Amino acid sequence: MKTPTATEVKDLNERIHLKSVRNVRRGQEVEEGIDIYRPGVKVCLERTRLLTESYKMTEGQSPMMRQARALERILLNMSLYIRDWEQIVGNYASNPDAVFWPIEQNWKSVHRLLHGEGKSLLDDEGRAELDEIVEYWDGKTVSDRRKKAFAGCPDLEKYWKYEGTMLWSQWSDQGVPNYEKVISIGLNGIIREAEGKLQEIRRTIPSDYNCQKEFLEAVTISLKATIEWARRYAEKARELAKSDKDQERKKQLEEIAEICEWVPANPVRTLHEALQSFIFTHIVRDQIEFITLGCGIRFDMVMNPFYKKDLKEGRITREKALELVKQTRLHLEELGQMYSPTLTQVYGGVQVLQSLVIGGVDSEGRDITNEMSYLILDSVLEMKTLQPSIALRVHDGTPKDLFVKAIDVIRTGVGYPSLQNDKALIPLLLKWGCPLEDARNYTISGCVYLDIQGKNILRRNSTYFSLPRCLWWALRQGIDPKTGEQYGAPTPDPTTFTSIEDVMDAYLEQVRFFMEKQVQVENVTRSVYAEYYPRPFASALTDGCIERGQDLRSWAYSGRVESFAIAVGPTNVADSLAAVKKFVFDEKKSPMAELIKIIDRNWEGREDLRQMMLSAPKFGNDDDYVDMIANEVHCRTEQVIEKFSDFCGSGFHLDGSAVSATYGLSLDTPATPDGRKDGEAFADGSLSPMPAADVSGPTAVLKSCSKVDTLQSYNYLLNQKFLPGFLEGENKEIFYNYLKSWADLGISHIQFNVVDKETLLDAQNHPEKHGGLVVRVAGYSAYFVDLSRGLQDHIIARTEQGFA
Amino acid sequence: MSARGFERLNDEGLVFNIQKFSIHDGPGIRTTVFMKGCSLQCKWCSNPESIKPYPEIMAFDIRCIGCGKCMQTCPVGAISFSEKGREIDWAKCTLCLECAWVCPAKAIECIGTYVTVDDVLKKVEEDSIFYQNSGGGMTVSGGEALLQWEFIRELFKRCRDRGIHTALDTTGNAPWRKIEKVLEHVDLVLYDCKHMDTRKHREGTGVGNELILKNAEKVALRVRTWLRIPLIPDYNDSEWNIRELAEFASRINVEKVSILPYNELGGSKYPKLGQAYRMEETAAPDVESLQKAKETIESRGLKAEIGR
Ligand code: SF4
Ligand code: SF4
Repeated sequence: MKTPTATEVKDLNERIHLKSVRNVRRGQEVEEGIDIYRPGVKVCLERTRLLTESYKMTEGQSPMMRQARALERILLNMSLYIRDWEQIVGNYASNPDAVFWPIEQNWKSVHRLLHGEGKSLLDDEGRAELDEIVEYWDGKTVSDRRKKAFAGCPDLEKYWKYEGTMLWSQWSDQGVPNYEKVISIGLNGIIREAEGKLQEIRRTIPSDYNCQKEFLEAVTISLKATIEWARRYAEKARELAKSDKDQERKKQLEEIAEICEWVPANPVRTLHEALQSFIFTHIVRDQIEFITLGCGIRFDMVMNPFYKKDLKEGRITREKALELVKQTRLHLEELGQMYSPTLTQVYGGVQVLQSLVIGGVDSEGRDITNEMSYLILDSVLEMKTLQPSIALRVHDGTPKDLFVKAIDVIRTGVGYPSLQNDKALIPLLLKWGCPLEDARNYTISGCVYLDIQGKNILRRNSTYFSLPRCLWWALRQGIDPKTGEQYGAPTPDPTTFTSIEDVMDAYLEQVRFFMEKQVQVENVTRSVYAEYYPRPFASALTDGCIERGQDLRSWAYSGRVESFAIAVGPTNVADSLAAVKKFVFDEKKSPMAELIKIIDRNWEGREDLRQMMLSAPKFGNDDDYVDMIANEVHCRTEQVIEKFSDFCGSGFHLDGSAVSATYGLSLDTPATPDGRKDGEAFADGSLSPMPAADVSGPTAVLKSCSKVDTLQSYNYLLNQKFLPGFLEGENKEIFYNYLKSWADLGISHIQFNVVDKETLLDAQNHPEKHGGLVVRVAGYSAYFVDLSRGLQDHIIARTEQGFA
Repeated sequence: MSARGFERLNDEGLVFNIQKFSIHDGPGIRTTVFMKGCSLQCKWCSNPESIKPYPEIMAFDIRCIGCGKCMQTCPVGAISFSEKGREIDWAKCTLCLECAWVCPAKAIECIGTYVTVDDVLKKVEEDSIFYQNSGGGMTVSGGEALLQWEFIRELFKRCRDRGIHTALDTTGNAPWRKIEKVLEHVDLVLYDCKHMDTRKHREGTGVGNELILKNAEKVALRVRTWLRIPLIPDYNDSEWNIRELAEFASRINVEKVSILPYNELGGSKYPKLGQAYRMEETAAPDVESLQKAKETIESRGLKAEIGR
C-alpha cells in the first residue's frame, strides 16, 4: 500500500465490520435469523492447541514456569500474518476473522456453545480436536480448580452460582502496564532488571528464594519470547518484501522489518516504533498470556513526545501519523473474545472494553493536552470503530478547543469520547489512599474502570451486584417466594416497617449479607488464580513485581484501588424507596402488605397502583425528594461494601461501570416498587435516570446527578442521549457550556448517544440500510443492527434530550 | 408547586409550564416560564393550552388505562366509556378539574397552576450554574405574559437582583403604562410581529395591529429587542408583508429578526382540549420561502435568522 488515499481509508473502514461485531442480546432471548456471531467469524484453536501442548510437556513443573513456557510456545509457533495494507502489525489469532477463548479458565460453556447454538463457528474436525483438548483440561481449569476448592463448603458453591442477585465474573482482571517504561528502556532493559534481581537474591538468599528465582526466570522467558515473536514479524516482512513488486510497499515492508527487529526489545525512537511497541505489548499481555479486558494507555501523554520529535526531524507528516494511529486503533478493534452466553449479555458480545485516555493532568497537576490529543480525535472523524473507546479526562485547564473537537466526534454518534471529571475522580482516589502523584495519573482502562498506569491494580471486578434485587429480598425477609428457602438475610417482616428508614435498613442488611458471600467466593477464587495462573509477562510490566521478586497476583498496590463489586440498578433502588416513602408512609395511599402482594403478581390487575408508583418523584428531575434518597442509597451501600477486605487486605468498593449488566441482570429481577415491571431493564448506568423518567430536561439530569456525592461513594456512569442537531452550528457553543457545567458540578462521568429516534426506527425496519450505525449501549458502543430487538427497543426508549 | 384550581391569591400568577434548558428563547441556556392567558387568538397557535386565563383539563387518551376513576368522579356526567375508550363530552364539562386530580395515569391533566413568585424563582434558580456558563437566564413567555404584568414585574425584578439575565417574550398587546413598568427589569425583549396590514392582523389574531406596532417602537427604544415573525404560509408570507415588516424592523432599530416557521405540531393539542384546529390545510413553509424571507430582511441591513 502507498500513502493512504481517501479510497484506502474507506478500505480500512470496510475491514472493521466483520471482525468485531457480534449479536448482542438481552438474556437468553433467542432471535430467529440472527447468529450469535456475524457470518464469517470462526473459532481459532491455535492458541488453545499450543497452550495445551506446552502444558502437557511441562507436567510436574511449577505453575509459574508452566505459564512462561506456554506463552513461549505460543509466541514462537503461532501463525503470523501481515496484510497488504498494514504498517503496524500484530495478530492474536490465526486469521483476521477468528475469535478464541481462554480454555485454561473454563471449557464448559464454550464447549456447550460450540456443540450447540454456535456450531457453525467450528468445523467437525475442529470440534473433534476440541473434544480431545477438553479431555486434557477437564479438572485443570480455573473453573474446575475453583470448584475443587469450594467442595465441602456448600455456601460457596451456592452463592457462586448466578441466581439473579450476584453474577460472579471470572475473567476480568485488569491493570494498566507501565507503557512508558517499556517504551523508554525496552524489554531488554526489563530483562536486565530481572537478571540483576536474580544476581541479588543469589547473594542475599531470601526465605522465599526459590519462588523469587522461578518468578524472575519466568519473567525473562516471557520477555525473550515476546522479543522473538516480534523478530518473527521482521522475518515475515522481509520475506514479503522480497516478493513484492510494488517498490513502495517493498520499502514499507522493509521498514516494518527494521521496526520489529528493534521494538519492543529496545528503547523506542520514533512514533511508528512507539505505536508498534504498544500494540505488541498489549496483545501479548491482554490477549495471549491471559485473556482479559481493558487497555488504559494515556495515549497522548505517551505518544506525543515521539510525534513531536519525528515532526521536528522531518521524519513524519501529520497525514502519515494519522494513518498510523488509525491502524493502531484498528488492531485494537480486531481483538475480540468469546464469552459464555451469560457474560455475552453483560459485556455485549465480544467487546474487550478497551479505552484510550486523552487529556487530564500529569502527576504534577499540569494539563497534558497536546497535538496527539487532537490527532487521535481526528482519526475517529475519518474512521469510526467500536473499539477502542476514548476517554477524555476533563479538568479546569482543559482547552476549549479540545472540548470542541470532542463534541465533533460525539456528534458522529460513535458514542465516545466519554468524559471523565478530574474534579470528582482525583479526590476520590486520594480518599481511597492513592498518593497524589498517582491519583493525578489515573487512567480509564475500559468503560469507567479506574486504573493507574503501571501500578499493580489487578482490579478484579468480582461481581455484578443487582441492588434492586437486594431491595426485593428486603421486602421478602430474604425468603425465596418460589421455594420458601431462606436465601437472603432474615430481615424483619416488611409489614411491620413504619418508616422508609426501616426499609433502607433491611435493604442494607441484604447488601451486607450478599456482599459477605461474594467476598468469600472471591477470596477463595483469587487464591486459585494466584497459585495456578501467575502472569510473568504482565508482572514484568508492572511496577514493583521485579523488585519484590513476586508475581502481580500475589500482592497489591497499597492505594486500595482494587477489588470492586459493580453496582447494578442503584437508580431503581432510589426511585423505589422514594415511591414507597411517598405512597406507603407519607400519604398512606397503599399499605405495604398490599403493595408487596401486587408487585409479586407483577402489578396484574392493578395498573392504577403501578401508575401511582410511577408518578412518585423520579431521579433525574432535580427534585430533592428523590435525589437525596438516591444519594443515601449510593453512599450507604458503599459504606457497607467498604467494610470488606480482599485477600491482600484491600477494601472493596462499588464501581459504576455496569456495562450491559443493566439489561442482563434486570431480566432476573421481578417487579420493583418504582413501577418497573418484572424483567424490565434497569436505568442504563449507575447514575443514569430511568429511561423516560427524566422529563425535566438535560440540565435537571445533571443537577440530580450532582447531588450524589462521588467522594462518599464511588465512580459513576451517566448516559445521555441527544439529537445530532444539538451538537451542530450555533448549538455547539451551548453544548460546550453544558459540558462545562457538567464539569463544574463535579459529576464523575458522562457519555452521549447521539442519534435521532427516526434513524433508529428506520434501522430497526431496514437493517440493510444502516450497517454502520453505531450506538452507545452502556460502557461501550455497538452496531445498532447487531443488537437484539429488545435491546434496540430499550435504546430507542431512552429519553432523547434535544431542543426545548 | 401546589395546585389549587380556581382559588387564586393576590400575589399569585397562573403558569402552565416552566421549561428548563430552553435554547431558543434568548441567548444561552435558559428557563422559560409560560404564563397562561392570552389577549390574542392566533389561529396557528402551537400552545392552545396557553390561551384561557384559567386552569383547564387536557386529555391524553393514549395514556388512559381505563380505570374509570374520572367517570365516577365527574359531578356533571361529562365522562363516559365507549369502545373507543374514555370520552369527554366537552359541552358538558365545567372544568371543575376533579377528574385530573383522581386520574392515576396522567391521562387527564390539569393545565395551569397558581404559583407565587417565590415558587417560580426557586425553579429558575435551580439552573443558575448553566446560565453562568452559557450567558443564559430566564425568559417569561405566554400566552401573553403582560396580562399578569404585576406578577412578572416582580419576578423579573427578583431575578435581576440575583444576577439572572431576564427576557420577555411578548405580543406587545397591552397598555404602555404596564409594559413600561415591566421593562424596568427586563434585559431583552422578544417581540412578536405578524402582519403589517391591520385587517389581516385582526383576521389571524382577533385584534388589530395598531397598538402592537406603536408599542414595539417604544420598546425597541428602551430595551434590547429581537423581533420574531412566525411565518404562516398563505397568511403572512407575501412579499409585501415581509418587506413591510423588514422596513418596520429596520426603522425601529431592532437588534435582530428571527423567522419562526409555522409547524403543524401544535395541531394535535387542540382535540386534547376539546377544540377544533383551524389550520388543518396548512403545511410548514418550505425552505425556499424561508430563505427568501430571510434575504428580504437582510437586504434592509438587518441581522436575520431562521429559528424554531
Ligand atoms: S373537569 Fe370536566 S370532565 Fe373533569 S370532572 Fe370536571 S366537569 Fe367532569
Ligand atoms: S381516571 Fe385516567 S386512567 Fe382512569 S379512566 Fe379516567 S382518564 Fe383513564
